[in-house]
Amino acid sequence: MKQPTTTDRRTQVDDRTPIRERWTAQPPGTSDEAVAGAMLRSAAVVRPFGAKELAEVGARLRSKERFRPRPLALQLAIAASLVLFGGVLSAAVSHVLRVRLQDKRDLPVAPPASKPVRHASLGSSRPASVISPALPAAEPLPEPTRELPATRPAVMRPNRAMAIRQEQAAVAPPSSVEPPLAPPPAAGPSSLAQESRILARAIAELRQEGDAEQALGILDQHRAEFGASGVLTPEANATRIEALLQLGRHVQALALLDAQFLSATGVGREMLVARAELRADRGRRASALHDFDLLLRAEAPSDFVTERALYGRAVCRGKAGNWEEARKDFERYLATFPDGKFADKARAAMNR
Amino acid sequence: MAEGPSEIPNLDALYRAHATTVARWAAKLAGPCADVEDLVHEIFLVARRLLPEFRGEAKVTTWLYRITERVALENRRKDRFRRWFSHARRAEIEETISPPHLTPVDELERRQSSETVYRILDRMPDKYRTVIILFELEELSGEEIAALTGVKLATVWVHLHRARERFLAEVRRVSRRST
Repeated sequence: MKQPTTTDRRTQVDDRTPIRERWTAQPPGTSDEAVAGAMLRSAAVVRPFGAKELAEVGARLRSKERFRPRPLALQLAIAASLVLFGGVLSAAVSHVLRVRLQDKRDLPVAPPASKPVRHASLGSSRPASVISPALPAAEPLPEPTRELPATRPAVMRPNRAMAIRQEQAAVAPPSSVEPPLAPPPAAGPSSLAQESRILARAIAELRQEGDAEQALGILDQHRAEFGASGVLTPEANATRIEALLQLGRHVQALALLDAQFLSATGVGREMLVARAELRADRGRRASALHDFDLLLRAEAPSDFVTERALYGRAVCRGKAGNWEEARKDFERYLATFPDGKFADKARAAMNR
Repeated sequence: MAEGPSEIPNLDALYRAHATTVARWAAKLAGPCADVEDLVHEIFLVARRLLPEFRGEAKVTTWLYRITERVALENRRKDRFRRWFSHARRAEIEETISPPHLTPVDELERRQSSETVYRILDRMPDKYRTVIILFELEELSGEEIAALTGVKLATVWVHLHRARERFLAEVRRVSRRST
C-alpha cells in the first residue's frame, strides 16, 4: 500500500479544517478535530492575574533586593566546588599544623606541649557558625512571621589553632628565648578566609549583638566584594534572610528565599518552611503548598519544622476550599502533636 | 493585542500596561504546573535588566513576549530537572478559575483534559508547541503570531500545520488507550 506523502497529509488536513480556522471554534462533535478542539478549550482557561497579584508582584519588583536567581547548574557546580575546596583546605591545614607541632617537639628549648595532640581534631575548613546558619522560625499561619522566636545563641567555636598557640605561650617561661618555631604565614589571607571573616562578623552582629541592621551592612560588604561568585555566597544569603526576617522585612526575605533552591532535608528545611509560610502569608497558596508538600513528603522527623509544615498546609488547604484534605492534615497534626503549639488552633478549626 | 508605541518606557509603566498580558502568556506557555506570579516576577526582573539595551526598534509587546517565552521555557526545563532530581512531582496544580456553571465533576474533567493537552504539547518541539498555544489558546491571528515570534507568516502556517498533525496523532493515541 502506498504511504501518504507530506502533501497528501497536508491536503487531508486541509480538507477537514482550513488552516486559518481554529479547532477551538468548532462545535462539539465526535471527530478527532472536535475532540482536540474541546481539549484545547479546556486548557485555554487560566487563573486571571487580578489586582491583588498585580500589586504583590509589583511590590516585589520595587523592593530593593536585586538578587537574581542563579542557574541550577551553577548552584550545583558551586556546591560541588565548595565540598571539594573544603576537603582540600582541611587537608592542607591539618598538614601544616602537623608539621608545625612536629617542629616544636623537635626543638630542645621548646617547652613541653601540655596537649600535643589537639590538632588532630581539626577537620573543617569552614567556621562552625557558617555551617549551620540558624534561621529564625517564622510565625505560624495565618500570620507567619510576626513573632520571631529568640535567636539562637551563637555557636562559633574558638579557633583551635589559635588556642593551641595561646596555650603554649602561657606555658613557656617569660624569660625563655623566643624559639624560631613557627614558619611565617605563607601568604596573605585567601579570599575564602576573607569571606569567612566577613561572614563571621555578620553572624556575630546578628546573633550575639542582635543588631540585624549592622549585620546587613556587613553582608552588603560581602556582596560588594564577592558578588554572586563568592564561595560562601549561599551562606551569606542564608544569613541575610535571617537578618531580614528579624527586621520584619518579609517581602525582601521572600524575594531572596524565592531565588533559592532549597532541600527538604538537612538545614534547608528551616528555610523551606519559612518560605512556605511567607508564601502562604502573601496569598501564594499554590507555591506554598508545593513547599509544604516537599517538607512532608521527605522522611520528615517529628520536629518543629514538620509541625509548622503540617499546620501550614492544613490552613492553606482550608483557605483554598479543600476542606476535606485540610481536615485530614489537622487530624494528623493533632495525632502527632497533641500538645503542639498550634493544637488549640487546629481543634478550633476542626470544630468550625 | 496591545500595539504599543515604539518609545522606550520605564519599568513601572511597562509593568502597569503589560503585566496582565504577560501573565496570560506565561500561564499558557508554561502550563498548569507553573507559579504564574513567580514567572511574571522573573520576567519583569529580566525586563528591568535588559531595559537599558532596549532601543525601541521592536514593539514593546514583541520584546516582552520574547522574554516571556524564554523564561517560560527555562522554567519548564528547570521544573523537569527538579522533578527528576528530587523524585518529587509537583502535585499542586496552579489554581484555575472555573466557569461558574461547571459542577465539581465538570471542573475535574476540565482540569484533567487541560493536563492531557499540556502533556501532549510538552512532547512537541518548542516551535510547534508555541504556535499551537498562541493560535488555539491565545487566539492570535497568524499575522500576530508572526510579529510576536519573529518568524515569517508562511512559516507560522507550516508550523501550525505540523503541530496539528502531531496533536491529532497524540489525541488518537490517547483515545485508543482510554477505550
